[in-house]
Amino acid sequence: MFDSRPIGFKIFFIVFFVILAIFVFFPLYWMFNTSLKQAADIFDYRFIPRNITLGNFVDVVTNTKVPLFMKNSLIVAGSSCILATFISAYAGYSFSKFKYRGRRLLMLLFLSAQLFPYAILLLTIYQIINFAGLRDSYLSLVLAYITFTLPIGTLTLKNYFDQIPNSIIESGKIDGAGTLRIMHSLIFPISLPGLAVIAIYSFIWAWNDVLYSLTLITSSEKRTLAPGLILTYFGEFQSSWNSMMTAAILVSIPVAVIFILSQKMFIQGLTSGAVKG
Amino acid sequence: MKTVSGTNRYALKESRIGLLLAVPALIVFSLVVLYPFVNSIIMSFTDRSLLRRGFSWVGIQNYVKIFSDPNFPQVLKNTAVFVLLGTLLPFFGGLIWAILLNQSFRSSGILRGITLVCWIIPSTAIGFIWMWIFHGHYGILNHIFITLGISSQNIVWLGRPDTALYSVVAAKTWQTLPFAMAFILGALQAVNLETIESARIDGAGNLRVFWYVVLPEIQNVLTMLILLMVIGSIQHFDLLWVMTEGGPARATTTLSIEVYNKAFLSFRLGEAASVGTIWTGILMVFGYFYLRRKTD
Repeated sequence: MFDSRPIGFKIFFIVFFVILAIFVFFPLYWMFNTSLKQAADIFDYRFIPRNITLGNFVDVVTNTKVPLFMKNSLIVAGSSCILATFISAYAGYSFSKFKYRGRRLLMLLFLSAQLFPYAILLLTIYQIINFAGLRDSYLSLVLAYITFTLPIGTLTLKNYFDQIPNSIIESGKIDGAGTLRIMHSLIFPISLPGLAVIAIYSFIWAWNDVLYSLTLITSSEKRTLAPGLILTYFGEFQSSWNSMMTAAILVSIPVAVIFILSQKMFIQGLTSGAVKG
Repeated sequence: MKTVSGTNRYALKESRIGLLLAVPALIVFSLVVLYPFVNSIIMSFTDRSLLRRGFSWVGIQNYVKIFSDPNFPQVLKNTAVFVLLGTLLPFFGGLIWAILLNQSFRSSGILRGITLVCWIIPSTAIGFIWMWIFHGHYGILNHIFITLGISSQNIVWLGRPDTALYSVVAAKTWQTLPFAMAFILGALQAVNLETIESARIDGAGNLRVFWYVVLPEIQNVLTMLILLMVIGSIQHFDLLWVMTEGGPARATTTLSIEVYNKAFLSFRLGEAASVGTIWTGILMVFGYFYLRRKTD
């Protein structure tokens, strides 16, 4: 896009490339570096560790509860992702293909919901969860996480469904299919990239959440990642920085893999929204 | 006539099916978003507590208390600093990083990919990484600073009221920069290259191309991005909580930390709700511009 020959641009490029590359990549490198060190070496600042070991990974997997926290997070993030995607898909389809009174108002409400502070919602959600006797249950988190995804999911999928020509729906009707049948066997299959974006988005959000999981889960057996890690490493394993960096890598792997595998779909789903064929 | 009423009845039935499809979303939305929002605002006029059942109405007493709290201006100031720096730094960093990585050179694709991975690392893990970098005794930053002669002794970055907030801002910048980069990269790739070519033939240099051709084309995306980032950092809780828990001496207590502390550490839900309501008011100012752009 820019002419890279002028000396001014070369200087600009090199200076900022060095600054930003160090800023962006060094912390990542330092995390890996520390995770490969033995406890005795973590205060050794060598760029390449002296005695490289995978012992920290074995240790975190066998001696800490990190695998349990990951399992719990997987259950919660997985369920809330499936639930949120389906509910958003139905509502998005409804907003997109049907006209009824109050539809525009509902859409505006969903849009403004992105602006409600999560902490203020939590004050009441906490009471509802207590009232329903759901405190310290996976279900409480699944319900709470829907607050993150439902509004944006519904609106994104509405825009996505808007791109699908009505003729596809009409042809389904001619074949005698009902609305549900048309959605499940015609619309959803061709909307997979859009649905995937919402599913991935809600999974990553649930996996990463700190605020809700810190508050709604109280027993150590049900703790999800964020509170689990915080309580483990600010308590029992305080200052085991090599172990902390190892845990940081382990909990990032699932979301990183999902993200890398779906990057293409993710970008396609976000940008085009168009249906081919 | 018969056919007309037939289609009407059909249309009515259709719209009813449409509404039915939205019902699960509406129920969940009311339960976990709308009702909590309204109820929390109402709660700000009560003395509700987590320690006992029941409550009484106290009017605007909670608000009076907050505004006469000598610590509250600091909370607002912390929030302002966090939002301002936590938006501008990742924005300009992301903008420049996007411009650099948009120049196709060897490995620019891989660098883009790795940058994006930083974005989805869980906040807790990001907090850990930066706590380790900023560690007061063994952190690599202190080591580098002392080796280069920038400072003569270890600085307890996260333990000092004058450095803690900026340290968390650094972590927040690291977390958000990839998001800004991805957003801007998308916009840059949509810029019409032919316009750039013709500007260049007319003798425009890089700065002029950027200022007069590229910037006007990506302006809308940039505005949207800034609004999203402002809203995101006003909401931000994770890194502030993981890295400093709002301390030391409330130096990193922003509005979100304040609400959490009041509600779940002091158990005063009513007061927490009033801070939350003030916060919502501030958020809505930016929200208005966001909504106006979104609904255009």
